Amino acid sequence: MAITFEQVNFSYGQGSLAQPILKDISTTIPSGKITAIIGQTGSGKSTLVQHINGLLKPTNGKVIVNDFELSSQTKEKQLTALRAQVGMVFQFPESQLFANTVLEDVMYGPLNFGKDRLAAKEAAQAALTMVGLPSQHWDKSPFALSGGQMRRVAIAGTLALNPPIIVLDEPAAGLDPLGQAELVELMLGLKKQGKTVVLISHQMDQVMAVADWTLVMHQGQVVAAESPKTLFNRPLSWFKEVHLDLPTAGQFAQQLVAQGWQFKERPLTLEQLAQAINQEVAIHE
Amino acid sequence: MEKAITIKNLKYQYDQNQPLFDGLNLNIEQGQWVALVGHNGSGKSTLAKLILGLLVADEGEIAVLGQTLSEDSVDEIRSQIGMVFQNPDNQFVGATVADDVAFGLENLEVPSEAMPAKIQAALEVVGMEEFTDREPHHLSGGQKQRVALASVLALEPKIIILDEATAMLDPDGRQMVQATLKKLKQLYGSELTLITITHDMDEASLADRVVVVNDGQLVMDGQPNQVFAQGATLAKIGLELPFSMQLIQRLDPRPQNYMNQQELLAWLSPLNK
Repeated sequence: MAITFEQVNFSYGQGSLAQPILKDISTTIPSGKITAIIGQTGSGKSTLVQHINGLLKPTNGKVIVNDFELSSQTKEKQLTALRAQVGMVFQFPESQLFANTVLEDVMYGPLNFGKDRLAAKEAAQAALTMVGLPSQHWDKSPFALSGGQMRRVAIAGTLALNPPIIVLDEPAAGLDPLGQAELVELMLGLKKQGKTVVLISHQMDQVMAVADWTLVMHQGQVVAAESPKTLFNRPLSWFKEVHLDLPTAGQFAQQLVAQGWQFKERPLTLEQLAQAINQEVAIHE
Repeated sequence: MEKAITIKNLKYQYDQNQPLFDGLNLNIEQGQWVALVGHNGSGKSTLAKLILGLLVADEGEIAVLGQTLSEDSVDEIRSQIGMVFQNPDNQFVGATVADDVAFGLENLEVPSEAMPAKIQAALEVVGMEEFTDREPHHLSGGQKQRVALASVLALEPKIIILDEATAMLDPDGRQMVQATLKKLKQLYGSELTLITITHDMDEASLADRVVVVNDGQLVMDGQPNQVFAQGATLAKIGLELPFSMQLIQRLDPRPQNYMNQQELLAWLSPLNK
């Protein structure tokens, strides 16, 4: 399910006090793919994704999600239809856990959207399985779990509604390497099921590992919409301008270039970097 | 010299069937920078809470700067330890940066005429002296964490514990805080003991000593290069090697020991000639 932004502007406040946050954004987030939205803090990423499920409405322009059109005129009542399509996982979602048991917490969404208890339970169990939380934890209090497990319960709460679009705002922040690797698997699994995944991330290595498409935000505008490979081959001066880093491997390669090394193509992953270095060393032996 | 922290035969469990610490021993020297690493849920934050007396051990003994932790000593021990937490937004009480740093000083009943100099000095150490009158919520994550660190420094603690203090920051913010920690070590030397709780191995590589905790057990303890030489053990408990070590493992020829990124760049340099 694709998401299209047509000349979207968004400002906080009105008239002379208006503070423009999103400026004339026209772009499409492709259906059935993982799209990473990147940009420095304050560039407008979170504001942009809050337009996907109608938490914010554009001041001008429209957002089209499947056949739903979101504009300044959209009524609150109509938004229920949109929110059933779009699951949102906010930053540090574990802070929103509240129920007595893990299972009850994940069932809350389906119950709220009108499912009976049996159907809600089945949906919750399926979602908890999908996020890889073993069933021995399902009857525990969510607050008895570790941080990484709580994060998974919170994500399961969104997945239990089975939305075709899932938006994740910095889902890996604070997770250990294992937790991050599991999250990458989860996102790839969601894509396999045909879901559209939108990911806000500060971690360029993660973007390189999972994203099919990237949107780069800078000062309220989308300044790049392309594949990660195209993006990370842009000139270094451009990255400086938008305050972004290359993936770690690319940064290391760049330091070698500064020492006089030459690479045919900029290495962007650990494997590519190791291979490129080994080749160069073999040539000079 | 007294040890900064001594832990003897520590036992602690959250619920009856799951002992977390079952006889843990750990000594930390004064002036050391110790990185306490482990995966989410390994017990490292719990250990910090036990040291601060926020949780009470079931058995064993914890001593801070030679003083055994007890109901009577807990207040004095806490006054020696500064703590910076993960979420920069949960740590602010003041309307401005200066107010925020002043808050702790007021609690200690520092005379008001002595405060401005202390506040200024603490903010200078973390490089935030130009933000004195700013509202905290207008700062970036990295700046907020440095203010949190300044608030702690103003109280002149002997020990600072940072519990995942960079985990929520973007790469710029993380670098800012890490650079500040390096500066603190240079400035205070043996006067300040730093304990950073983290699962970021690149951050752990900055420390003098890395202590790896898994399921409440100390599984490794040594200088960063000693610990990082055991990649397979780290991987088994869900931890990742620092980037430079991961690269070294894939190189041919490769250095025999752990090197950080700068050392590896220097090592590689002649191979391209």
